[in-house]
Amino acid sequence: MKKKYNQTGAKVGIYLIYILTSLFFLYPVVWVLSLSLKTVPELFMVPPKIFPKSFNIENYIFVINNTQILRNLWNSLYIVICTVAGTLLITLPAGYAFSRLKFKFKRSMMFGVLIFQMISPLVIVIPLYRYFSQINMTNSQVALILVYIAISVPFATWYIKGYLDTIPVQLDEAALIDGCGRLKALRKILIPVTIPGIISVSLLIAVNSWSQFVVPFILLDDGRKFPISVGLVNLQSTTEAVTTHYLAAACVIGILPTMVLFIILQRFIVSALTEGAVKG
Amino acid sequence: MSRETIGKSNRLSGRKGLGETPIPWLAPLVIILLTLFIYPMFDILRLSFTNARIGETEYNYTFNSFLNLFQDSGFYAMLKVTAFFVFFSVVFQMVLGFIIALSVDKGESMNLRGTVFVRTVALISMVIPGVIIGIIWRMMYDESPTGILNYFLTLIGVGHVRFLTDPFIAVVSATVANVWRGTAQSMILLYSGLKTVPGETLEAARVDGASAAGRLFKIIIPSVMPVMLINLILNTIYTFNTFDMVMTLTGGGPGRSTEVLALSAYTQIFQLLDLGRGSSVAVLLLLINSIMAAVYFYIMKKSEV
Repeated sequence: MKKKYNQTGAKVGIYLIYILTSLFFLYPVVWVLSLSLKTVPELFMVPPKIFPKSFNIENYIFVINNTQILRNLWNSLYIVICTVAGTLLITLPAGYAFSRLKFKFKRSMMFGVLIFQMISPLVIVIPLYRYFSQINMTNSQVALILVYIAISVPFATWYIKGYLDTIPVQLDEAALIDGCGRLKALRKILIPVTIPGIISVSLLIAVNSWSQFVVPFILLDDGRKFPISVGLVNLQSTTEAVTTHYLAAACVIGILPTMVLFIILQRFIVSALTEGAVKG
Repeated sequence: MSRETIGKSNRLSGRKGLGETPIPWLAPLVIILLTLFIYPMFDILRLSFTNARIGETEYNYTFNSFLNLFQDSGFYAMLKVTAFFVFFSVVFQMVLGFIIALSVDKGESMNLRGTVFVRTVALISMVIPGVIIGIIWRMMYDESPTGILNYFLTLIGVGHVRFLTDPFIAVVSATVANVWRGTAQSMILLYSGLKTVPGETLEAARVDGASAAGRLFKIIIPSVMPVMLINLILNTIYTFNTFDMVMTLTGGGPGRSTEVLALSAYTQIFQLLDLGRGSSVAVLLLLINSIMAAVYFYIMKKSEV
């Protein structure tokens, strides 16, 4: 009897926490969504209404037609895809070496790589701004993407190394014994079984790169090249009380791609995050 | 790592090819870290000992940027704001993250409906760019009669709050927004830590009649302690590095009341164009990052043994 009572008590407690958690985390998102669907009179209605009367999407149409937001989205997409590809190109071999090869200072080198995960991008971007302006590379998307890649590689190296560690060595050793080179073993045998890990790490890099702000904010001043984060800051600086609904719509557009990706693939991402977390 | 194992792996590949040495495998990684991380890190250290200004090419070496910094009362005010922001952000991120992780973990074991929903919702802030989080919370904190938080607070009798115009409340507001942002990180780390708590030990304690609180403090918390420490350090680093969210939420204002460390470095360099002085602030940030990284490695090493 007592156990049953405890169970009910625990249930009530957990649901209470569930409700508070959902309110706290969802409310700001619901509010910006609500603002984005409001008309100007509704915007200034007192008391404020959570649900707009009519779901008018005019704000979205206005933002799309009158700001650079589509261009910003496209720039972000381009940067993110190049960053993911470049990061994988660098970290797959590196992760392989850390997982399969034996060499001196391996552990120290691995920890050395992890240090960069903890350095603020702001610190490196200040001197980089100077070099790039000296060699006329500010506003260069190539330079920008290289910096994004540098920021992504520490985590990705650790993640891929950790994932490769979970794959039995016998699998690729057999190929090596058969006279297959290491690069071929990585390409033909390890990468196919690493696909789930590669997808997870790509998603995490993509989300982080999508959010990246300080790097493009400092390195770019050509508005046509801004990713979504910088585009929104620009938009915010020109926004007044009467145009809050436009800014809200722009925010929703900026959140949407990663949010949809996250909700669809949340199991995938959660497992990637928890694995990464346990491994450190 | 011994000679023997190296010999063995050489035999395995059947030849002493290029593939056996780690150099070609690691070269791209090392090159990109050297050019885009290590070199800039030394360069910012060098710049912090100069009087360089943005837009000017000539500069001299000097200690003045540091000396002026330490004599500026604004610098100490900025450190205080940063300390407040980091301390309360991290404490609340961890406490909330742990409570949510515990209930989601418990909810999973009880097969409660809505558990996956809550777990997803709690992680939403992780996929929202920091600048957008700042903009959203700025809208929440709207001080006009149409502001939603002020509407609710007035409704329950607290009255109108000057979320972003009162110098002290603005720091608290920025901290709350940052708790909203960083709790997800704590939650996911601690949630994965909870997965490693041995189920049998918990069950045995339950059978022995240990209370829920007893199980929490005697079994659960000790076994997630290493993860908690790692969480503590990572969240401290991320909060020190916060720039984007504060930029759009308060822009450092009112006045300089919410100008945290990273924002201060930016303002010095790109608004006041004082590269030397801004670099010395950035070096301070780098120093904090490095100390935190050192503590992190120390704990990782200890928990492995």
